[in-house]
Amino acid sequence: MTAQRDGDAGGGAAVELQGVTVGFVSRRVLTGVTLRVPRGGRLGIIGPAAGGKSVLLKVIAGLLRPDAGAVRVLGHDLAAAREREVAAVRRRVGMLFQNYALFDFLSVGDNVAFPLVHGGAPPEGIEARVAARLRGVGLAGSERKLPSELSGGMKKRVGIARATVARPELALYDEPTAGLDPVTTSKIYDLLRADQAETGGTCVVVSSDVAAVAGFADTIAMLHDGRVRWVGPAAALFDADDPLVRSFARGEEREGAAVLARAVAIEPPGAGVWS
Amino acid sequence: MALVPRRSLTSLGARTLDLVDAVTDLVRVAAGTVSGAVFTYWRGTRPKGEIARQMHAIGNRSLLFVMVTLGFVGMVMVYQTCLLTTQVVDGRGQVGAQFARLLVLDVGPSLTAMMLATRVGAGIAAEIGSMKVTEQIDALRMSAVTPVDYLIVPRFFACVLMTVVLSIFGMAASWAAGGLTGYYSFQINPRTFFDLSMVAPAHVVLGMTKAVAYGAAIPIVAGWCGLRARGSSEGVGAATTAAVIGSSFAVIVLDFIISAIGLIFWGAGL
Repeated sequence: MTAQRDGDAGGGAAVELQGVTVGFVSRRVLTGVTLRVPRGGRLGIIGPAAGGKSVLLKVIAGLLRPDAGAVRVLGHDLAAAREREVAAVRRRVGMLFQNYALFDFLSVGDNVAFPLVHGGAPPEGIEARVAARLRGVGLAGSERKLPSELSGGMKKRVGIARATVARPELALYDEPTAGLDPVTTSKIYDLLRADQAETGGTCVVVSSDVAAVAGFADTIAMLHDGRVRWVGPAAALFDADDPLVRSFARGEEREGAAVLARAVAIEPPGAGVWS
Repeated sequence: MALVPRRSLTSLGARTLDLVDAVTDLVRVAAGTVSGAVFTYWRGTRPKGEIARQMHAIGNRSLLFVMVTLGFVGMVMVYQTCLLTTQVVDGRGQVGAQFARLLVLDVGPSLTAMMLATRVGAGIAAEIGSMKVTEQIDALRMSAVTPVDYLIVPRFFACVLMTVVLSIFGMAASWAAGGLTGYYSFQINPRTFFDLSMVAPAHVVLGMTKAVAYGAAIPIVAGWCGLRARGSSEGVGAATTAAVIGSSFAVIVLDFIISAIGLIFWGAGL
């Protein structure tokens, strides 16, 4: 799955962000974000709530266009591309949304089959692939159920099945374990790991569960106040030089909160580049 | 002190940009809907039977509502007209023919569309708005599916067709109710009341053109409002309100425009 496709410019990066800035009417959400994720890499994005993590994921997915900066995904410049070209790139990207975003008017089976049906997969193989994918996430035989009949954890797993059924080259997961118990969290990360090992694709995970994402990703980026505050190997996260990053990662509530409050006044370091 | 005008200016600028953005979105949704209906609908990427489902939701479920409303409007209009026409000279013999002309030309399609703007417009905006705030629209886009094509185009087809059909049913209900009112309250002979001599083919063409235009405008405006929903349930509520207001306003504006075009083509004899 890491093979080059038409239109891909060489290089080993699945995602390259250069000075990405995104703002809405009332405020700026991302400022000068620069990141690079190599093909086959696993990037975890952490940071305080409302720090721009989900927006960053949507920029990578081509769902939001930046106000400034370059977004290169699977060799295509999404910031400058026409919507049709962006849509073609999205077919090669799978995404799990924070609130599952399952189509409530479709059954579980139809939800999982959706990217295949609309991605031009041969109709005869779709049913088997959906059944296999649901089996893979531990929901065998749930094809006919409606999303409203599922628990939060089950919906999350259906979302993962839908995001990965087309074997995407790039998988984006927005809070894959939010609100789940530790056992289910562990199972979900095992599932993501197994999927990635099978497809050889690239993963970007946004999560508030710092310990879990640090155990999954090989590199962590911390976003704070819309800027990349720290990028480095997951193993170095808990001993990072930056006190804000260290206390946030360790969950040192009082110290972390004080540092976060102070950080507004601190000039953040230059945007990190992960290469 | 200098901050006050600067903040006002910033706010004004933001509102202006938001307005430009909204109008651009409306044009995009309208163009996308029409081009989707004409060029790409038949590629078959939507669930089977979607148009039939939408026709049932828009048409069958609005039938009673439209017929009862137009029936009452017919009764009130005929009663008031008969009261007026009997005050000076007895003109009751003309009421039925003139009422039929007015129904076909304007009141039937316009009132039906106003009813649909409230019921159907609100429904479309709430449905699409809910999908927007729960990221289902983004999930559609992740599968390279165009939300306008997938969600609005089937409703567009269904609404155009069912607005025409419901207008006909509504006119029939209004005419019948008006005839009964004329007969029981003012002793107008049904043979005199149910007179179509004043209805010309031009009136039918213009009335049906209005019905088609209203049927096209309602899902476009409501879909646009739904796609612009922000936040959570509050945003969906705001989108629903905006859809009802926007669709009703579109019906009134289209009524004016099409009537003006009719007058240009057919003159004062219309």
